[in-house]
Amino acid sequence: MASTCNLRADVTSIIWLDETGCQDVSHVGGKVANLSRLAADYRVPTGFCLTTDAFKQWHEDGRSIQMPPALWRQLSAAYAEMARRSGTEQPSVAVRSSAIDEDGRFASFAGQYETYLNLVGEEEVAAAVLRCWHSTGAERVTGYRERYGLALDNIEMAVLVQHLVPADSSAVIFSANPVTRDRGQVVINASWGLGESIVGGTVTPDTYVVNKQDLSVTESRVADKERMTVIVAGGTKEVPVPRFMRLQPTLSVEQLQAMARLAIALEEQVGWPVDLESAYSDNELYLLQCRSVTTLIDTEEGDKEHG
Amino acid sequence: MAEAGGPPEPVVIPPQADFPVDWAHPDEQKIPWQHDRMHYPEAMPTLEGEFWSHFMHGMHLGMQHYGMPLQAACKPFNCWQYLGIFPSVPPEQMPEIGKKSDEAMMKTVHRLQQRWEEEWLPEIKAQIDRWDAFDLTAASPADLRAHFNEMWAESQRVFGIHFEIVFPVYIALSLFDDLHQDLFSDEGAFESHRLLQGFDNKTLEVDRGLWALSREARASADVRATIEARAAGEVVGALTESADGRTFLKKLDAFLGQHGKRGALWGICHTSWVEDASPVIRNLKDFISQEGDPLTEMHQRAAERDEALATVRAQLSGYPANVSNEFEALLQAASAAVVLTEDHGYWIDFQATYRVRRVVMELGRRLAAAGTIDTVEDIFFLTTTEITEAVGATATPDHKSLVSERRREFDHFKGIKPPHFIGTDYGPPPPGLLSRAFGKFFGTPPPPSDAADTLTGHAGSPGKVQGTARIIRSLDESGKLKQGDILVAETTAPPWTPLFATAAAIVTDTGGILSHCAVVAREYRIPAVVGTGVATSRITDGQRIEVDGDAGTVRIVS
Repeated sequence: MASTCNLRADVTSIIWLDETGCQDVSHVGGKVANLSRLAADYRVPTGFCLTTDAFKQWHEDGRSIQMPPALWRQLSAAYAEMARRSGTEQPSVAVRSSAIDEDGRFASFAGQYETYLNLVGEEEVAAAVLRCWHSTGAERVTGYRERYGLALDNIEMAVLVQHLVPADSSAVIFSANPVTRDRGQVVINASWGLGESIVGGTVTPDTYVVNKQDLSVTESRVADKERMTVIVAGGTKEVPVPRFMRLQPTLSVEQLQAMARLAIALEEQVGWPVDLESAYSDNELYLLQCRSVTTLIDTEEGDKEHG
Repeated sequence: MAEAGGPPEPVVIPPQADFPVDWAHPDEQKIPWQHDRMHYPEAMPTLEGEFWSHFMHGMHLGMQHYGMPLQAACKPFNCWQYLGIFPSVPPEQMPEIGKKSDEAMMKTVHRLQQRWEEEWLPEIKAQIDRWDAFDLTAASPADLRAHFNEMWAESQRVFGIHFEIVFPVYIALSLFDDLHQDLFSDEGAFESHRLLQGFDNKTLEVDRGLWALSREARASADVRATIEARAAGEVVGALTESADGRTFLKKLDAFLGQHGKRGALWGICHTSWVEDASPVIRNLKDFISQEGDPLTEMHQRAAERDEALATVRAQLSGYPANVSNEFEALLQAASAAVVLTEDHGYWIDFQATYRVRRVVMELGRRLAAAGTIDTVEDIFFLTTTEITEAVGATATPDHKSLVSERRREFDHFKGIKPPHFIGTDYGPPPPGLLSRAFGKFFGTPPPPSDAADTLTGHAGSPGKVQGTARIIRSLDESGKLKQGDILVAETTAPPWTPLFATAAAIVTDTGGILSHCAVVAREYRIPAVVGTGVATSRITDGQRIEVDGDAGTVRIVS
């Protein structure tokens, strides 16, 4: 692709999720590297990472309130490329930081850092990236690191800029039944809008069970879904679900089967049960996150294997 | 004992002492009859009662059209018109048939514009054209009688169309309003209606026609002086005396020819504008001194609507697609519906109904000439059977004493306040698409007021204003309404809406947020409180009142 070739000229500052360089934990952090591995095989919302190199340029440049011109040009070009890839003139993006040191060990502390949702336009994105970078000097970050005895002088930061897919529905998918531990089933919790309401437990989602063998839907419990998370100016918001949708099933049989196939494929790839966060947008299934379910491995090995 | 949560036990409503009801059949008393003050605020003479029963049989046909598990009956008791709506199937079949009917209804909700343009309006217009092609004055008594019978039968179809239209129209508006409330509950009752404002409709078109006439009148000092100075009934005669006046009369006639086939209220016994232009002259007297431009104002409302819509669409772009799909589908349906709330009435309630009146008046002239009755208007005290039997009868019947007997009964009962309900009370109607929409159209009983000087009703159109109350009981009294006054009426039919340009606010006894009055008041940007039940009896003419159209309250200031 011509436009991405241009970006590759300075591959260390900005790397796209679907580029292999994006799996280098020390440059992008563990979480982004993980997403990048998924993006190689599945439909993950398009995104790019401002690597630790980009952070260092800014840091060494004197931590200005503005982005160094060379970086600004690359960011601007990358946003334009995202517009092209997402088929949206001004795509809405999420900006998430993850702090790391040289070996990427502190990626799991990303939650201590920043998340900005629903940014539109290159200026907003650049401003959010700068806020992420500045946060490495923020008191609460340094306080945290001091408390845990972490070095202060070698914080580096990677920032992920990812298309914020306007989810029609979201689901958490378990490649094995988390309650009965039945590995012959895929269990899907689904509700309207973005996944926050399911993950945060503020909505009772629909529950569907799909048989892994023949992909038949063996159970459908359609819940009265009262709340949903939607994208609003400046972020996301939980709102009441309109009455006409509350008792409607979130997913069609075809959509449930597509989700089950995705869970089965990832389980095979990872080698043990997984749970996924996913979303449907414009009838396309997006994979947002994949974690292995370690609790099930022990049980499964103890109870079933070699038994 | 009634099952918890089940329907309440039916209660036979005790008769009102001055309103004894003579049931034609014991089953009739089992019907929940309700007086519709919004459409028939007045007592009705014999023929008007029969006509309205005929018109309202269209509701029954409309229910059949959509396969509703309901039936409707309409008849006069003691010269007051009552409507009864009750199940047409056993209770256990209601849910299933209701569901099917809702599906059929929703198909039309989403095709309103198409059905109006391709089916309903062409059929109505073709029928009106056929009726107009009949030469009334040249017809022999036998031909006139045959034409009357035929037209009466044909009009049944037109009144059936009326309800094929209004059910989905009010359901579309109600569903759109409900969805908007679900999505933007903190934005107030009128926000959904702002998204539907600024569309042109026949009511506004007629009002603009009147406005254009007032500009014509202003162009000639002579015409203006005549209209302003002479009594409404004398203006037309006086205008024939000058060249400017005659030029103006041509324009007035053109306007009346196009839009004048309407009386002051629904029905056939009200004189239409083409027969007597006085109501138009009174409107012109009001308009002639006013400034403004209704078309520009309408365009402003449309621009505001588009702006509000852009904001809503931007908000919904972050919602699941089925929310915005449903919103767009109901917006489209409601945008068509809000125009049809007025346009169906223009064509059916007024244009088609006028054609019935026209034939009735010709029959009246014939019967008066033959000596069957004293005056043309006496025909309203005969039944259709009596009329057809009398026209061209070899031995002319004398119905004069019959007419005076019925007139005495009419005069007696028109002074009596009819009970709102008679027959049997089954409690509030079960929830459903239609009952919800009807609730917003007719208005539910208002909440009780907690202050002695305050009346409660329904919020009809936003804004707060103080002014002098003018109780207008009929359009003949409209002359006493001056600019800045508040129009207080039992109901306002579309021919009343030119008064909305003069009034500072409207207060009615009847109607809900989707009533004609509220819909048009919003277009005129004046506050309205509708469905107070008691405004015309609690407020006295000349009192200073404050109308709060957002709260739905009216305060008597002094």
